[in-house]
Amino acid sequence: MIDKPKNVAPGRWLNRLAAADRRLLAVSLGLPLLSGALVLAQAFVLAGVLGAAIVEHVELQALWGSIGLIGLLIALRVGLAVFGEVAAVRLSEAIKLDLRRTMFADLMAARTAETSSRSSGALASTVIEQVEALDGYFVRYLPAMLQAAILPLAFAIAVFPIDWVVGLLFLFTAPLIPVFMALAGWGAEAASRRQASALNRLGGHFADRLRGLTTLQLFGEAERETERVRVASEELRVRTMRVMRIAFLSSAVLEFFAALGVAGVALYVGLTFLDLVTLRGTELTLAAGMFCLLMAPEVYNPLRLLAAHYHDRAAALAAVAEMDSRLERLPGVAPAVAPAPARPAEACAAARLELRDVSAATPDGHPVLSGIDLAVAPGRHIAILGESGRGKSTLLEAIAGLRPFGGAIALDGVPLAAVPESGLRSYVAVLGQRPHIFAGSIADNIRLGRREADDAAVRQAAHLARVADFADRLPAGLATRIGEDGLGLSGGELQRVALARLYLRDPGLLLLDEPTAHLDSRTEAAVLDGLIAFARGRTMVVVTHSLAVAARMDGAFCILGGRLSVLDEPGLANGKAGIA
Amino acid sequence: MKAILVLAPLLGRLRGALLLTLLLSLITLFAGIALLGLSGWFLTAAALSTAGPAFNLFAPSAGVRGLSFVRILSRYGEKLTGHDATLRLLSDLRVWLFTRLFPLVPLANRFGRGDLVSRLLADVEALDTLFLLALGPISTAVLAGALMTGVLAVFLPGAAAIYALFFFAAVLLVPIGLVLVSRRTGAELVAATSRLRQSVLDGVDGQRDFVLFGATDLATARTADAAGRLAAARRKLGLIAAIAAGLVQALAAAAMLGVLATGLSALEAGAVDGPLLAGLLLAVIASFEASTMLVRSATRLAGAAAAAERLEAVARTPAAVLDPATPAPLAPGGEVDFRSVRFGYDPDHPVLGPLDFTIRDGEAVAIAGPSGAGKSTIAHLLVRLADPQAGAVRVAGCDIRSVSREALRARVALMTQDAPVFLDTVRANLLIGRHAAGDADLWHVLETVRLADFVRSLPQGLDAVVGEAGRTLSAGQARRLCLARTLLSDAAVLVFDEPTSGLDFETEAALLAELPSLARGRTAIVITHARVPDSYDRVLSLRGGQVLDQPRG
Repeated sequence: MIDKPKNVAPGRWLNRLAAADRRLLAVSLGLPLLSGALVLAQAFVLAGVLGAAIVEHVELQALWGSIGLIGLLIALRVGLAVFGEVAAVRLSEAIKLDLRRTMFADLMAARTAETSSRSSGALASTVIEQVEALDGYFVRYLPAMLQAAILPLAFAIAVFPIDWVVGLLFLFTAPLIPVFMALAGWGAEAASRRQASALNRLGGHFADRLRGLTTLQLFGEAERETERVRVASEELRVRTMRVMRIAFLSSAVLEFFAALGVAGVALYVGLTFLDLVTLRGTELTLAAGMFCLLMAPEVYNPLRLLAAHYHDRAAALAAVAEMDSRLERLPGVAPAVAPAPARPAEACAAARLELRDVSAATPDGHPVLSGIDLAVAPGRHIAILGESGRGKSTLLEAIAGLRPFGGAIALDGVPLAAVPESGLRSYVAVLGQRPHIFAGSIADNIRLGRREADDAAVRQAAHLARVADFADRLPAGLATRIGEDGLGLSGGELQRVALARLYLRDPGLLLLDEPTAHLDSRTEAAVLDGLIAFARGRTMVVVTHSLAVAARMDGAFCILGGRLSVLDEPGLANGKAGIA
Repeated sequence: MKAILVLAPLLGRLRGALLLTLLLSLITLFAGIALLGLSGWFLTAAALSTAGPAFNLFAPSAGVRGLSFVRILSRYGEKLTGHDATLRLLSDLRVWLFTRLFPLVPLANRFGRGDLVSRLLADVEALDTLFLLALGPISTAVLAGALMTGVLAVFLPGAAAIYALFFFAAVLLVPIGLVLVSRRTGAELVAATSRLRQSVLDGVDGQRDFVLFGATDLATARTADAAGRLAAARRKLGLIAAIAAGLVQALAAAAMLGVLATGLSALEAGAVDGPLLAGLLLAVIASFEASTMLVRSATRLAGAAAAAERLEAVARTPAAVLDPATPAPLAPGGEVDFRSVRFGYDPDHPVLGPLDFTIRDGEAVAIAGPSGAGKSTIAHLLVRLADPQAGAVRVAGCDIRSVSREALRARVALMTQDAPVFLDTVRANLLIGRHAAGDADLWHVLETVRLADFVRSLPQGLDAVVGEAGRTLSAGQARRLCLARTLLSDAAVLVFDEPTSGLDFETEAALLAELPSLARGRTAIVITHARVPDSYDRVLSLRGGQVLDQPRG
């Protein structure tokens, strides 16, 4: 289970994620360490071969065994490194997969109104790019950090029995490197933080202008803006380089100590051989001296590796901060809303709908509806008319259980809040004003209504909703791909596809928001015929601008000033308007 | 991989800086090789020496110290010039992208929704570091290998060929093989990523429908499946990269063992002495420093190539609309005329039209209709963000395809539905509308949209920085600032696409009612799904792809 990033420091959160699979973590961290430790053996044997051949003039023939051993050690190290890396990749992929699943489940479980107020593009990039940015932390940074923390010290200690002076040299210089790097870094850090924010601002500026490209182009700003981008980047470069001059001192420091280590060992061992330095009691062999020299670069290599992967950490932390801000309104990770069981829609009896003193407000608190009373008898069809922005859609959403409201709404006498979600969804069918079309075929989109519907049922629904009217003219018919990257449908065509979805269900209550808004009057009449036929024996509430729609209902109401009133227009519904 | 050549001119401009960086990193590497080699030689020579204090210490100790300092300095210089070149490349790349993208607006209609901007930014970033992290290290490794081969050819001729064989296999063949082998998996990765993006977008945009149909489990399963495929592709790529890294290590080891074996037999034959052998062997070991990051560089290179391909595909997209070869002059006036216009983003499936209507000079007309009916498309056709498949759009009697877009857009100003407040000062945001405008003009237009008091209340007034999706402004203030920008322009025809979206009901009604008078006698076309106030001369309602003219009494 994954905590929300904001509760803990980003670094600790990442480490906790890494511990999700302890076995993989242990392998990904342990094998590189083991591989590093084998360096000691490898250097030891190699130094031995050199000493034997050069000083003792041992024949090559007698050395093949040792050379083979070196080869074996290297093969072993390569194998360990490969397995370690593969384990790290598996660990990282498992973590990312889990994160993406949890994030998406959270998004789906969030209140509808909250999700729709955010940019889907930005959320997608959080789920994809920001999560991906964590990769380097697990695959490269963590193993490199552990190696840098352990190997230099381990090497220094291992060298002690051979020569204590070299051991001391390693012991002091290796841990000193991070200290000096930090010292050099501190001076630069404040400046570099300012720098990072300047870089972010420039990136922000660039993204900002990219987003507004159309406006800039329409106002003939293309050239001027391009020039501005150039000037801003140039200014940033000059400023950055001023800071970098200090920041790069840290890499010079690393280089200084690494060179000091090699040169120090070479001079000390050389002078010992020449008896110019006599710090040790026993004589030093060439093999021992060579071993010290071979180990010198190895002591500093883990630090070099860490420096190379340090930005993976920075990138991961930045990504966590970004996720934190993008997902801030998500509820904490809880088991996602139990998915409605996929079962065939049951035959539902027509619903009795009652509203008592219902009120609702916009998300920012403007009251839209107040004191709405309404009773719809089972099987009745009513229309709600009213100008745009007067709360008709809000009322429909409240009845559908999609937004909070004041007062009471009851279905067959049961308060809305007491109806279980899955029961509510199969009992109440809703057509919103902007139904979403998914990437897929027309048939796939219709089948969202009932997933196990067979082709005949889909075709029948398509026919009833007059989707067939335009789909039959397309070469691929109902198999035509629509949605992103697919055929662009007109508003009226989309609405009919969404209507066909409803026809695959068997609800007791139909709530429709402007079902014919995009249609010309002939198509509208045909679609209405299908709708009325489907709605026979079901209760239906239709929000509409269209008097033609209202005329075919059993009654009509009007929202004025946030209140519902009976519309008593002569000729409308043969005077049946009223309590329907 | 070829797409990376797009960058050739950009890299060419930075030739000097890049060569300097390359030279410095080569010096750094070589100083390291020489340092370890010299140390090995010195140490062995000292061990074998019987001269004691008479041993010539001066040359080796001066050499060791000198090489250390060269290495420190050149490493520092290499970092500095490398980053400088990278920052220059970053600036050039952005300018390049801007120049290519401008003719392609509106991007969303052409490249799909999703976050095109984030994808472009990520691709540009992948290319920024192309030299620093990919081309530079690979070139350095190749050059260092060549130099080392040369050194071996002189001192230990038998080992040169073996070293060259294994070293170049490690630094050239393995990266090339890696790129080739991972190409298919790389394509799978891109496909899986776009499937995942699609499924997240569908989930977020269609959340309400999924909830309503009790199908959130379907959306979750789709996303989990796409994420699973992405993870599988990544695991495969990770395995390939790990094996490649192992191969590099193994080949480097083979080169070292080859030099060791040939060196030992040469030692036996008396062709080299002990110190030289030790020095050469340590130098060979040091030369592998060049290969440690190679796999990463190769992966970067593959990533950069893919990014370059995507950017190039965007840049190569033909502009949706083209200027006529010899633009006709645009007659004065603000009349707009649509004749038998048909349009669909898929040319075979026109969803709009035939549209026939005329808006007279100076008229205030609202275009109403439900959302998704194609109202914005009418505005896009009017400023040639798209061209109709049939029929003609005329402004002041001229077919707009016969005049230059510059002239057309100076005549017709459009405030798009998503018009942004730029991350900049209030002044800069307004001046986009008309450059020559003076402060008095700015205050006047702010007055007309009733923003003047607010701007006056800001500490820096007109120079206050606003923006980043209008964060410092409320939604209403942001819309009004965009409105002011459009009103400020000299255009004879003003088109406002949903100018009141995001405003509350009362403000919306008031602002919509005022718009005709704010246009001050110019042609005003206001697109809205809200109720149209009585202050408009006419309402055109768009329904079923057709326009119904409703004159006002």
